[in-house]
Amino acid sequence: MAKLPMKRVQICALKRDRRQIMKILQRRGVVELDDEVQQDDTFQRMDTTDQRILFEKNVQVAQQALDVLDTYAPVKKPMLAMLSGKEEMPLTVYDTYSEKQDEIMEHARTLNALAKEIAERSANIPKLQAQIEALVPWFSLDVPQSFKGTKTTAALIGAVPGEHSLESIYGVLAERCPEIEAVDCNVISSTTDQTCLFVLCRRENASAVEDALRTMGFARPSMPSTVPPLEEKSRLEEEILTTQKAIDQAKEQVAAMADQREGLRFAVDYYTMRADRYEAVGRLAQSKRTFFLTGYVPAEAVPNLEKTLEPFDCAMEVNDPGEDEDVPVLLKNNGFNDPMEGVVAGYSMPGKEDIDPSPIMAIFYYVFFGIMFSDAAYGFLLALVTGIILLKCKGLEPSFRKSIKLFFYCGISTVFWGVMFGSYFGDALAVISNTFFGHEVTIPPVLFDPVSNPMKMLLLSFAFGVVHLFTGLAILLYKKLRAHAYADAIYDAVFWYLLVGGGIVYLVGMPMFQNMFDLSFAVPSIVSTVAAVCAGIGAVGILLTGGRESRNPFKRLLKGAYSLYNVTGYLSDILSYSRLLALGLATGVIATVFNQMGSMMGGNIVGAIVFILVFVIGHVLNIGINVLGAYVHTNRLQYVEFFGKFYDGGGRAFVPYAMHTKYYRIKEEM
Amino acid sequence: MGLTFALLGAALAALLAGIGSAKGVGLAGQAAAGLVTEDPSQFGKALVLQLLPGTQGIYGLLVAFLTMSQIGIIGNPVEVSTLKGLLYLIACLPIAIVGLLSAIHQGKTSVASIGVIAKKPDQFGKAMIFPAMVETYAILALLVSILAVFGVNGLNL
Repeated sequence: MAKLPMKRVQICALKRDRRQIMKILQRRGVVELDDEVQQDDTFQRMDTTDQRILFEKNVQVAQQALDVLDTYAPVKKPMLAMLSGKEEMPLTVYDTYSEKQDEIMEHARTLNALAKEIAERSANIPKLQAQIEALVPWFSLDVPQSFKGTKTTAALIGAVPGEHSLESIYGVLAERCPEIEAVDCNVISSTTDQTCLFVLCRRENASAVEDALRTMGFARPSMPSTVPPLEEKSRLEEEILTTQKAIDQAKEQVAAMADQREGLRFAVDYYTMRADRYEAVGRLAQSKRTFFLTGYVPAEAVPNLEKTLEPFDCAMEVNDPGEDEDVPVLLKNNGFNDPMEGVVAGYSMPGKEDIDPSPIMAIFYYVFFGIMFSDAAYGFLLALVTGIILLKCKGLEPSFRKSIKLFFYCGISTVFWGVMFGSYFGDALAVISNTFFGHEVTIPPVLFDPVSNPMKMLLLSFAFGVVHLFTGLAILLYKKLRAHAYADAIYDAVFWYLLVGGGIVYLVGMPMFQNMFDLSFAVPSIVSTVAAVCAGIGAVGILLTGGRESRNPFKRLLKGAYSLYNVTGYLSDILSYSRLLALGLATGVIATVFNQMGSMMGGNIVGAIVFILVFVIGHVLNIGINVLGAYVHTNRLQYVEFFGKFYDGGGRAFVPYAMHTKYYRIKEEM
Repeated sequence: MGLTFALLGAALAALLAGIGSAKGVGLAGQAAAGLVTEDPSQFGKALVLQLLPGTQGIYGLLVAFLTMSQIGIIGNPVEVSTLKGLLYLIACLPIAIVGLLSAIHQGKTSVASIGVIAKKPDQFGKAMIFPAMVETYAILALLVSILAVFGVNGLNL
């Protein structure tokens, strides 16, 4: 399996069926719409922006109401909520809900209004508290702050900054207006910040006295109370209490509407779908009585689509897309390979000339991950957890499910490589048996132990690297042959095979290399010679053809030399696979560190408890770090080393017109 | 005397590589926190990018541990000659120094990659590769250090 063949589809139908047809197409989700059709006098596109905005606003209102519910009437989410996926909703339930739309939206608006009320009232409380705070220095005043005086007297109520005694105020008054005698000053309260005054004088002297006080910074309160401050305080407290009560009441009302949650969720999905539908309708070319729709559809979905549209009076035409069309790409693979689709999409969808690399990548991906994670027990845990998720959670998003499956297969591969290298929680078995039972038990590795044979492991890593790179080159060869570019196939692939392959065989034959890796077999000298000749042919070939697009012979040779320089690229690519060794060792050695740390307290009860604690925490940490490392570096080997050899990418993913819901999966009866 | 040099090497491997990772992860963490305030749903991706410069510290630990177990700081004590101790010290240097510098640069690359997913969350695959490229050199240094430590252990000096 690979890239699904795409067909161009054109549907022409009656306008009266538009609603129904668009609904069905959305539910099927197999057509990607485009706006290829030119507008003319008969066929016009409709502007649906207004309706769409209306629906999107409804989505927002419902979403906001949901947020309100989540704030004031939270439901406890199960621990692994993200794994439960979307709830399934049968079509019958869908229909009953769609009839209740207006009612649900009414609830949504009520909820939002309540939330607004709560917010406003909550903001009011600090304001009231601040007012009380400002009144505190005035509590001993037994007239209202707004008291102006009697028929013949004027009252000046206000504060001056700083601390003043009664004498100093009288002193200032005597200095400023010595002619006025009938003044009665009272200090209501005095702190270092301000002194609150109640000054009584004759009405005709009021302005003179006030002017005198102003020189000290006298100011009346900004919001004078109309009742004595103490009474004002209890009034404000009363108000806070009522506000609080109103807030609580509103909260209760919100909580009472918790049963609306499902309806609101549905409304979010429902209006999202309707907005999408109107967006799609906007792309249609419409005449007075008909509409015209074009798009792409996977070839395998065509028969089903035809059957679906049968009941309507419509014409459907399916043909192959043209050469220069930007056809969207949809990948389809079997269960073992399809986790790769996400990995491929993470790089770039396959371009026009590319094949879908998923089936070839899959086995390498699992193997590399396994070698880097390289512990049978870790692999078992990974496969166990992901396996349970796969079995228990059926409602997962397909892409998320594929990621989980990716780790499931990687886990199985890890178990295999762990057994090969004899690692089970590092050397846990040996440490436990040694510390607690006094005699050492080990499971010997099936292949070899990478910690004690790092050179062997390095060689194995390079071998995998060469196979991986040559597979990439083989795909390039296939691509060129398929495009009937036979010369390019020889120049760009075969010559490189000769050069790199020959070079490697020759290198393996050299005594230095044999010594270095302690190899037990010898390469016959005739093979070495043939390999050297092959490498020579490859090198000369690349030198001559590497710059073949240049006409100038001199420039051509120079460019050829430059392409030959690319051999360093192959060298670094192969060396890059040493990360298989490095990350594999990292897993094993860190596991060993934790095992040793755990066993430091010895073989008694305390030692056992410490060991269990260190063991659990340490290995969980190690698994976390190394799953991340293995994942990132497996991706890197695929993206940089492997894809670098043949993959162009640049394809456009197939985005069908479908139901993009957030909470529910509308179940389709087929 | 040999033991002193060898332990100095192990300590340097853990020290320098650890410092580098701490700095790299710190840098990336600041950027990741910024992204998460804007879009909490990107937490998972940001976390992966933040953790990428953390591996150098682990490589340093790995080499330090290997060295310590070879020279008997952990496990059975063995005789380490001065020359051998110096060789262990040199063997630890690649991961110590490359670990320090590569982790810092990887951290900076991670910051930039977090910028990528802030603007284009669907380009995570590509964003992840840039810091991973820097890591290559730490891995090569680790390899040299491991091979050298094992090699020194085999020498009869």
